[in-house]
Amino acid sequence: MNGIRLLIGKDLRVLRRSPALLVALVLYPMLVAVLVGVVVRYANERPRVAFVDLDDLPEKLVVGGQEFDVEGLIGQVNESVELIRLGPEEAGRRLETGEVVAVITVPPGFASDLRGMVETPSLLLRTTRGGISGRVEQQTQALVYNLNRRLQRAYIVSNLAYIDLLRRGGELSFLGTDVEVIGLEESARILEELERQTTDPSTLAELERLRDFVEDAQLALGRSDEALQALANPIALESDTEAGRTWLLSAQIQSYALALTLCFVCMLLAAAAIAAERDENVIGRLVRGLVSLLGLVVVKVALAALVAVALGLSVAVLFTGVAELMDVQGTEPWERLPVLLVGLALAGAAFGAFGVLVGALAREARTAVLVAFLVALPLVLLGLVPESAVGAAAWVSAAFPFAHAVDFFEAALYDVDPWDRLAREAAWLVGLGAVFVSAARLGVRRLLA
Amino acid sequence: MPAAADGLASPLLSARGVARRYGRRVALAPTTVEIHPGDSLALVGPNGAGKSTLLSILAGALEPSEGSVVAADGDSPLRIGWMPQKPAEYVRLSPRENLELFARLERMDDAVAAAGRFLRLLELPDDERLAAQLSAGNQQRLNLAIALLPGPDVLLVDEPTAALDPRQRRRFWEVAAQVLERGGALVFVTQHLEEVEHHATRVLVLRDGRAVFAGTREEYAHAPEADVFA
Repeated sequence: MNGIRLLIGKDLRVLRRSPALLVALVLYPMLVAVLVGVVVRYANERPRVAFVDLDDLPEKLVVGGQEFDVEGLIGQVNESVELIRLGPEEAGRRLETGEVVAVITVPPGFASDLRGMVETPSLLLRTTRGGISGRVEQQTQALVYNLNRRLQRAYIVSNLAYIDLLRRGGELSFLGTDVEVIGLEESARILEELERQTTDPSTLAELERLRDFVEDAQLALGRSDEALQALANPIALESDTEAGRTWLLSAQIQSYALALTLCFVCMLLAAAAIAAERDENVIGRLVRGLVSLLGLVVVKVALAALVAVALGLSVAVLFTGVAELMDVQGTEPWERLPVLLVGLALAGAAFGAFGVLVGALAREARTAVLVAFLVALPLVLLGLVPESAVGAAAWVSAAFPFAHAVDFFEAALYDVDPWDRLAREAAWLVGLGAVFVSAARLGVRRLLA
Repeated sequence: MPAAADGLASPLLSARGVARRYGRRVALAPTTVEIHPGDSLALVGPNGAGKSTLLSILAGALEPSEGSVVAADGDSPLRIGWMPQKPAEYVRLSPRENLELFARLERMDDAVAAAGRFLRLLELPDDERLAAQLSAGNQQRLNLAIALLPGPDVLLVDEPTAALDPRQRRRFWEVAAQVLERGGALVFVTQHLEEVEHHATRVLVLRDGRAVFAGTREEYAHAPEADVFA
């Protein structure tokens, strides 16, 4: 352990003497993380939208005598956005942390207002600022427009029935009482009959005025079908932009930023560090009883883990600082930082072990850095491919620490009940780290040749 | 120092049939050599003959493909100093930092004092300059200083004077002589006949990975088959 401790100290001292390299290693992946975040956000055709049903909508809704399949309508929306049914508090929290880009809320009384066809019920859409929120609002407007068209047809059919009653007469049920409506046609017939029976000129003049009105009303109501088709949308969409996290500060971006930074820094650092031992011709001295080959691998893995903790903590604090500076809600849950530290160390060690393996196989430091970069890039991109898009990508990605690191960081920072997910991803990181350490121990023998 | 029952000193270090192969290429065919107290063994041969490979195997820096290296049993473990041909030191550390680090790795009691002692002994700069910024000669002397740190019973050096000026060469042989005076042994790789003539007691000649001659310096002088420099 003494040798391992001494060599870690040596590596940290050497690292401190290369500040430009350190800055480049940190800034470059951060930049890549932001760019990847943009791509991920905009390339995602189904952004996550929370759906809060405060009215407990039934599966079937009858409006104006027409039946609506509520689940079917929601299914239609799912084609363009990923609707996640949530409670109001959880939806608000996820909007703040950026896990969902919008919240559609069905307020209490929505269904009864809709059935009553007297007041216009509203859906409430909450989005975060900037980024993709405009697109989500458009998609939600399209949903409401679609709903409106269906409701409009129901309203028109219902209203035409009333008009038909006015024109032709019949019975109407109103507040529990049946009322007989005489109708315009019967009114016109009665007026004609009265005109024939009446000889008084002044009465005849009044009857003629009444008959003209009835004819005008019949004519006007006869065109009401077309007029009703031109009705405006019965549902209004109210938008409310919250002061939640912008996409740049979202949970997803932060997790990607952490994992990407660690992936590149730890892999490149460990690969270069182990290969440098050979470049400097020191490895032969060390294995002569000073430090074992496994010890040497452990030194580089521990170095990567230490750097990961320091770097990851800085990135997390930076995100939190910016979020607080911008006075946005859903800021870093500080009490989760100890859990995050565990994840940073595990992820750093796993990335570092993979880097040592790459460095041992590449043998020469500059080659090792280049190979590590070339290997890390596609594996990281694989981790960004949605499982639903290419299943094989997820399988390959599962054998690399990146996707597990992202999941761990998301769970550590934002999940309400993260422990199952944390345990699963931690087990993955430990397992992958152990496999890579074993492989690196075998590979590092090449450095002695 | 270990001694045999018949009064002859037993070997400090023995390589028994050690060989090294890289795939099909044979870098060193099975070779046996014993190093006794007071020996100053010169490893001689053309480039690629296997001299550095044998030295690395003796030092324990390279595992032999076959055969074994045995160190003498004694009251304390045999201390071996190894100076490879290419300097083996951390180029982003200063000479003092290198010496202190290796002294601590060797578990020496006072690493700081040891580093200072060897800096003075080999006239190395004691400032902030990194090893990478040193001249080739100073890098080689730092390489030697690290090899000398444990106070070796056997000092294994690979072309130690290649980058040194005449004064530094004399200084090196003075330091090497101190190891012999303590009852230790010296094994050195060289391409210079005069070094063999002045500093070797025994000579092992290698050619194409095989030992073609092993004997005393006097025997070597009268063995035409051992003249690999002809």
